Amino acid sequence: MTILDAQNDLPAFRQAIRDWLAEVVPPDWKARMARADNDEFIAFQRWWMAERSKVGLAIPHWPVEYGGAGLTLRHLIVIADEMARADAPQARMFTISLIHLPGTLFPHGTEAQKRRYLAGVAKGDVWCQGFSEPNSGSDLASLRTRAVRDGDHYVINGQKIWSSYSMYADRCILLTRTDPDAQKHRGITYFIMDMRSPGVEVRPIRQANGRSEFGEMFLTNVRIPAEDMIGRENNGWRVAQATLASERGVIAFEGAERQRYEVETFYRKALESDAAWLHDDQLRREFMSFLAEMQAGRRLLRRVLAESETPEASASVLPSIVKLSATVLRQRICSFMTRIAGVEGQEFAMLAEEPFGSPMFDFLSAFSGTIAGGTNEIQRNIVAERGLGMPRI
Amino acid sequence: MTTIEATASVDQATLDALREGVAGVLAEQSGSTAVHAFIDGKNTLDRELWSQAASLGWLGCGIPEQYGGLGLGCHGLAILHTELGRQAAPGPYIPTLSAAQVIAEHGAEAVRTAWLPRIASGEISAAVPTNPDAAALTRSGSGVSGTLRCLGAPDAAFVLAPAGDTWVIVELAGAEVNAVPMWDRTRQVIDIRMQNAKPAAFLENSETLIQAMALAVAADSCGAARSVTDRTIAYMKTREQFGQPIAGFQALKHRAADLATKLAVMDETLAHAVHRTATNEPDADIWASLAKAEVTEAFVFIATDCVQLHGGVGFTWDYDPQIFLKRARLNEVLVMPNPALRDRAAAGLAAATRAGHSALELGL
Repeated sequence: MTILDAQNDLPAFRQAIRDWLAEVVPPDWKARMARADNDEFIAFQRWWMAERSKVGLAIPHWPVEYGGAGLTLRHLIVIADEMARADAPQARMFTISLIHLPGTLFPHGTEAQKRRYLAGVAKGDVWCQGFSEPNSGSDLASLRTRAVRDGDHYVINGQKIWSSYSMYADRCILLTRTDPDAQKHRGITYFIMDMRSPGVEVRPIRQANGRSEFGEMFLTNVRIPAEDMIGRENNGWRVAQATLASERGVIAFEGAERQRYEVETFYRKALESDAAWLHDDQLRREFMSFLAEMQAGRRLLRRVLAESETPEASASVLPSIVKLSATVLRQRICSFMTRIAGVEGQEFAMLAEEPFGSPMFDFLSAFSGTIAGGTNEIQRNIVAERGLGMPRI
Repeated sequence: MTTIEATASVDQATLDALREGVAGVLAEQSGSTAVHAFIDGKNTLDRELWSQAASLGWLGCGIPEQYGGLGLGCHGLAILHTELGRQAAPGPYIPTLSAAQVIAEHGAEAVRTAWLPRIASGEISAAVPTNPDAAALTRSGSGVSGTLRCLGAPDAAFVLAPAGDTWVIVELAGAEVNAVPMWDRTRQVIDIRMQNAKPAAFLENSETLIQAMALAVAADSCGAARSVTDRTIAYMKTREQFGQPIAGFQALKHRAADLATKLAVMDETLAHAVHRTATNEPDADIWASLAKAEVTEAFVFIATDCVQLHGGVGFTWDYDPQIFLKRARLNEVLVMPNPALRDRAAAGLAAATRAGHSALELGL
């Protein structure tokens, strides 16, 4: 029986995933990836997507008519839970392809766009997101990359930044300015851009943690066919809201569950080796304190997921509250790990295979949580203004 | 909103109805004006609320039905204490209802029958040590002696306290009881002195009182912290400086958002502990201990920030923040010192882990 055949029996579905993961996840994958160069990383990501695809877990949440399995949120939660339990690889390079593209095309794309582009994702197309610009970060709607109509094409000029895996992407969901005279939210148009088009140049950005996941895109007279516009001209801001809302918390949930196993494994090993910090009153109490907050955070994420399918979800600030608490907690945990590791923890190492085996790498990486996807400062504005009704000035 | 969810034994509709009922009565009777008058000695709000609580059945909320209670267990108690905290309500709820939990779980049938119906009906209140693990009576022969600092009203009918390797219930009719003036005037603390007093009952040694008090104090803190935050944000929307409501200033909005985030985490920390206790999980004590430590410290942080966010009036006797700040400071030091509670949880976690159990299980 395949995994998808078991979908009507949740415990059997869970067991089938668990069995498959036990068989397919290479025990040494973390050690391999810790030493991997870019080509090996990409090859591994593609291999992992192909394996998921074989058992119907590449696009399980998409409707059946577009090649998915039409699974419910409940199923996705079980999949995420099992992935975390098995410490399976994450399909990081495919986040935009799997979540944001369908989240945008299902409500706003034409039938032709859905047929053409969604089929490609199932085959392994990598998509990236061209939203932020060097001068448009938190103030995204101030973006200035220009799109000018020229016959049945638009001509794009400008610069995009923080586009994850754009160096490896086949296509891009792109926000551009078509009417520079309109109020800033009303002159934006949303496109699909072929990354192999002439005039697209991508340079990787090296991060503080030593990795280069982001790219900077330079767009010079890039021609996009008008049929690759999503939604109407100058209506791109509304379409972008669907993109930004497409992740309903499953990724954050999986992250929190992975962290639970990391912390638990770390603690068990500390106990076995009778680690010095266990005898330090202050450190031991600090650990217990973030353990309590970790558990509360896991409960909050379950609430976000439960709420995500209700009519109240679109107005709720709970996702912002969860982002604020979870990302700051992650920093606290990584800061703790960095301190207890002493000078040895300052030895340069990336992506260690042990949980918190490279505490500085984890500590530095934790900033992606507090900065990406709307900085925590923007989240605080959202909570205060939409949640607490404090006036906007 | 706290998210105390139902378990098999208690249904959600009953819990929602309890919360709605308690919140409604307390909002009407224990508002800011009434509480201020009470702490200034101008009314007897504590007695009025107590008789209301008795007639509405709140005092039996955690007591099994066969002893005159509502049988809502620690879910019901968490809701009641949260709402009492929200209105900074005065009265000996924490000692009385926590003592009732111990009697219900560890008392012999005769002891339950003797005390629980009288508690549920509001006829009597109880006292318990403010810090049960640091207090003890000494036993000699059939009598107990010693001095106890207790949470409870001066007219409490009995005290539940450790004495040697057992727990005792001692009636206070003839004992020397002195009220201790406290900064938190919404609470009553008494010193009890007894010399060779004859216990009315003996109970087996247990951790139930610490657990019950920890959950009660944590719940009180969750309700009170949310309330002082709501009051502060409402004030910030009306207070104008530089020609605009101060609620519009980003520096203050961000602080308010951080308070809202803390409150969400506090609620879940409490809910987790309540849920583990209600379902009798072996890790319940770990989470009750941590909940009290985490939530009371967060309440102190929040109450402190709310005084500051009010500015000058936050430092006055006439505004509400000082009432909550004092309640927060008392909550923080009740039951056990928070570092000791974290150590207690750490010991429990180590034992569970060594035995091959996870203390982090959580359903979907």
